[in-house]
Amino acid sequence: LTKFGTEEKKMLKLSWSIKLNIQVLLLQFYSKIVFCFPFRFNYRSTHHLTSNGFYEFLNWFDERAWYPLGRIVGGTVYPGLMVTAGLIHYVLNLLHITVHIRDVCVFLAPVFSGLTSISTFLLTRELWNQGAGLLAACFIAIVPGYISRSVAGSFDNEGIAIFALQFTYYLWVKSVKTGSVFWAIGCCLSYFYMVSAWGGYVFIINLIPLHVFVLLLMQRFSRRVYIAYSTFYIIGLVLSMQIPFVGFQPIRTSEHMAAAGVFVLLQVYAFLQYLKDRLTRQEFQTLFFLGVALAAGVVFLSVIYLTYTGTNKLKCYAKIHIPIIASVSEHQPTTWVSFFFDLHILVCTFPAGLWFCIKNINDERVFVALYAISAVYFAGVMVRLMLTLTPVVCMLSAVAFSCVFEHYLGDDMKRQSPPAEDSRLGPNIKSIVTMLMLMLLMMFAVHCTWVTSNAYSSPSVVLASYNHDGSRNILDDFREAYYWLRQNTDEHARVMSWWDYGYQIAGMANRTTLVDNNTWNNSHIALVGKAMSSNETAAYEIMRSLDVDYVLIIFGGVIGYSGDDINKFLWMVRIAEGEHPRDIRESDYFTPQGEFRVDKAGSPTLLNCLMYKMSYYRFGEMQLDFRTPPGFDRTRNAEIGNKDIKLKHLEEAFTSEHWLVRIYKVKKLENRDRTSSL
Amino acid sequence: AWQSGVGGHLGGLSVSAGGLVNEEVKRTVDLSTHLAKITTELVLSNQGHSAVQSFILSVEPDLAPHLAYIGASVKLPFPTHITQAERQLVVFQGNHYLYSPYPTRSQTTRVRLASKTVETYTKLGNPSKNDEIIEYGPFRDVPPYSEDTMKIHYENNTPFLTIGSLTRTIEVSHWGNIAVEETIDLRHTGAVLRGAFSRYDYQRQSDSGISSIKSFKTILPASAQDVYYRDEIGNISTSHLQVLDDSVEVEVRPRFPLFGGWKTHYVIGYNLPSYEYLYTLGDQYALKMRLVDHVYDDQVIDSLTVKIILPEGARNIHMDTPYKIDRLPNQLHYTYLDTFGRPVLVVTKDNLVEHHIQDVVVHYNFNKILMLQEPLLVVGAFYILFFTVIIYVRLDFAITKDPAAEVRMKVASITEQVLTLVNKRLGLYRHMDEVVNRYKQSRDTGALNSGRKTLEADHRTLTNEISSLQARLKAEGSDLAEKVGEVQKVDSQVKELVCRSCQEAERLVAGKVKKEAYIENEKNLSSKRQEFVGRIDSLLDAL
Repeated sequence: LTKFGTEEKKMLKLSWSIKLNIQVLLLQFYSKIVFCFPFRFNYRSTHHLTSNGFYEFLNWFDERAWYPLGRIVGGTVYPGLMVTAGLIHYVLNLLHITVHIRDVCVFLAPVFSGLTSISTFLLTRELWNQGAGLLAACFIAIVPGYISRSVAGSFDNEGIAIFALQFTYYLWVKSVKTGSVFWAIGCCLSYFYMVSAWGGYVFIINLIPLHVFVLLLMQRFSRRVYIAYSTFYIIGLVLSMQIPFVGFQPIRTSEHMAAAGVFVLLQVYAFLQYLKDRLTRQEFQTLFFLGVALAAGVVFLSVIYLTYTGTNKLKCYAKIHIPIIASVSEHQPTTWVSFFFDLHILVCTFPAGLWFCIKNINDERVFVALYAISAVYFAGVMVRLMLTLTPVVCMLSAVAFSCVFEHYLGDDMKRQSPPAEDSRLGPNIKSIVTMLMLMLLMMFAVHCTWVTSNAYSSPSVVLASYNHDGSRNILDDFREAYYWLRQNTDEHARVMSWWDYGYQIAGMANRTTLVDNNTWNNSHIALVGKAMSSNETAAYEIMRSLDVDYVLIIFGGVIGYSGDDINKFLWMVRIAEGEHPRDIRESDYFTPQGEFRVDKAGSPTLLNCLMYKMSYYRFGEMQLDFRTPPGFDRTRNAEIGNKDIKLKHLEEAFTSEHWLVRIYKVKKLENRDRTSSL
Repeated sequence: AWQSGVGGHLGGLSVSAGGLVNEEVKRTVDLSTHLAKITTELVLSNQGHSAVQSFILSVEPDLAPHLAYIGASVKLPFPTHITQAERQLVVFQGNHYLYSPYPTRSQTTRVRLASKTVETYTKLGNPSKNDEIIEYGPFRDVPPYSEDTMKIHYENNTPFLTIGSLTRTIEVSHWGNIAVEETIDLRHTGAVLRGAFSRYDYQRQSDSGISSIKSFKTILPASAQDVYYRDEIGNISTSHLQVLDDSVEVEVRPRFPLFGGWKTHYVIGYNLPSYEYLYTLGDQYALKMRLVDHVYDDQVIDSLTVKIILPEGARNIHMDTPYKIDRLPNQLHYTYLDTFGRPVLVVTKDNLVEHHIQDVVVHYNFNKILMLQEPLLVVGAFYILFFTVIIYVRLDFAITKDPAAEVRMKVASITEQVLTLVNKRLGLYRHMDEVVNRYKQSRDTGALNSGRKTLEADHRTLTNEISSLQARLKAEGSDLAEKVGEVQKVDSQVKELVCRSCQEAERLVAGKVKKEAYIENEKNLSSKRQEFVGRIDSLLDAL
């Protein structure tokens, strides 16, 4: 056993170092640029935190975002990520290890994913055994669904939140197993960290009560569960309310009510258990029925009430925000392809692990079964929540693999083998099954490596293309344009763009933006959408009223980049229509046949709206190659319909090398005629 | 800015100070770049009677603030704002004559322009214009301090690149490396771009934006390594590096082309091996490096700050500069593993050109023992870390005693002992088998008997020991005691079998049994024994 222990530690270290290696490799090419969209904001806030201190950060009012409204950053972010990075930076600098905060941010995700592997190992060990834990740690170290959040440079809430999630679950299982207040308090602290890091903490605060509830239903109530949950609920509640952004939500909103309900239920149940010892059977039965009837009535009514208000609220929320929520690709339902892409072979093996768990059920395996079922449901609803599914899939697949290996490999190690089993499993079958399993694992590893190197390692800010001879070409247009903004515009210039680029502009160009990725104010976004989809004169009115100095758009027609603003344009129209149905109508932008076309057949409203004009300004003269006519849009494979675009109130201020980013300057009002002023 | 070089030699040497005369003056004004370079060749003659130790070279009072290297300017873009399609025109204002305290006998001035296109130029003395060259003069017998404005308005599309500020940080490490980092603010100081910037025109027409800057070359020292080129938002991916024999050339391309009035900011850095620049004699060190290095040809630097970071513990620092330079108070810099900080020398200077690329020497004393400070610090830190871990693991910090855990540990240690003893006992039987086999060959009854005796004695002591351990297990309340009892029971049967096989062997040797019968018997006994030993093994596994 001791030998196995050291070996397992070695493996654990190995999986961590593999992880670090994979992720550091990515940096060699792109050095220290930072990729994801939210990253820019997180980095900026971390920078603010380190340069101005914690209290200043909590009080930070960012006047550079959401012009002219501004944004209270301190109260509207989960500060866990920034505080973690800031703390590491502070400690290192205290020891005179002068690391720049940028480097801390870049390497935070890989370090935390190493910690995630370790906590997954611990959790799986609690659920099954050490071997399964080791496999689970290896799986989570390379699984693509998690790599996307743990590559060096992805400085994202989710990166540290998955660690906090797994660690909280580990401590919870531990406290249910031992029934000790110590572990329960540890669980609360870890939960507190999770609350400070990610909005996904709601998953914990619903899953743990669900676990307790199911344990009650299964007649598995014990003093251990009682101690663990009572401690967890009360301390966790108090701690979670310390985060400014969360505030009083845990006692107000419907998504936290399940936890409170289960808490009450548990107290009642424990009280009844207590009474059962004291009273005679007859007395108890009357009391029990009375109590149950009363409690059921109260719970039923309150649940109905809460659900009613809750769903109402959800409906209202959805009604307002649906176009904006739906416009984010991460909020789409998950396809089978992405399940396979993110989890590969694990998606097939994890039901087997679940079956093993249910077959040999105990308190903590109930937990993992619930975890798996709920996570599968959530992952099916939204691509983004694949992330919560990934750890449990790794754990259960590890259980499945571990069981199979134990069965088919384990016999050789024992000194005495039961003869009955030996006759059933010939050496041939054993070796074939083992080989197959190893092949599966090998294919999984190959897939993970491939995904990591291809899909998740290229930053969205830098595009790469390959020449005929295989050499790499970098299209660095985004940074070119952002840096131009940073250097050559007034420091207080206000830049209007679609919200996708808000954080990037704030971070890289350091200019004031109107809307950004924190989409809290739908009507403001709709106003920008309206400006983009109106004709130039109407748009100029809006831009004047919003004090816009520059307009930034993304145009992919020259290089065939499909994520550009024309392709997103219908969302702008829809969001604008939601708030200004009289001025903007989605149907105006379609041809009578109901098509969205940019060529001659396109609708005249589209061909004269601001977005179209800005995208294709002077593009009509441009001939990209000899096979196509001038003004041929490579993204949409069409010759544009309006080639003679004149701008009256705008002028081209900058266009990047491959035309990917175009920036227009909003002209000031012209001077009045001297004669009329007299 | 402009600059002028002075090349001259004294005509007669035995003349008085008052009698100096410029015999012949040849001025060349080179206006082909953004710098105005004025070279003057002088032939001086001394008309006086006493020897001359020095002569005075004076500069026009208007030029003084622009003077970089004895020199300066007055070249301004005119018009000051141009569109992308227009060409850049410049006005140069200078002096037709040499500004000198001495009278001049004869003088010519040759002006070299950047292009043939000249809008206007002053026509003093009917100058001749030939392509890019305008020749003035010769002017005869010019009085001292004479001035006459020369004004040339011409096309000059060479980029007017100016370094607004340059901060050069040189960090010396005694472990063999010198890290250099330059933070550069660049500005295009030519005619400011008016109106829109059209990428289409810029890409399609070769003369569109002709005065803009796409890229330039920076020459780094030949031993420069790990060159990086970046700015606040990351690596700038548009640069190229070329390693030549005597230098490293970096083709620096800003992220975007620089038009008039646009600016950019970047950081370029590299490492140098210290043996090329750091000289030592005992405790004394001398660092000899360029105070400012090449950024682009004909560079103009408005303001320069150089920071030289010396190793922690450097003392008696003094600096030999090639020209006058402002020294600011020393600072302290903390980096990896520093405890009391590294001394930083800070110097600044305004208005520099290419001629300022000269070496600076910094002398300081450094005790070599201090080199060991940082490794020892690391060693010490790890030592303390491991020591605390050792203490934590070895000592018991629990505030409560857990009797159950203690019992468990005791039981574990006892079972361990039982295991070794039982295995030893099984070893005795194997030994006995060997003795019996030897006996069968040698038929030496004495050896057999002595072997049997030792077996009996050893077996008794081992069994007694195990029994006492069993008693202790029972005392601890462990249910393992029963299993040990079972082991003892099975063992006594094994012992019996061993004794029987011993007797059988004796009988065989004595001829009391036939060989076949003995083999049959022996087989029986050994299979039985195997079974018992297997049972003991499984019992031990259960322990």
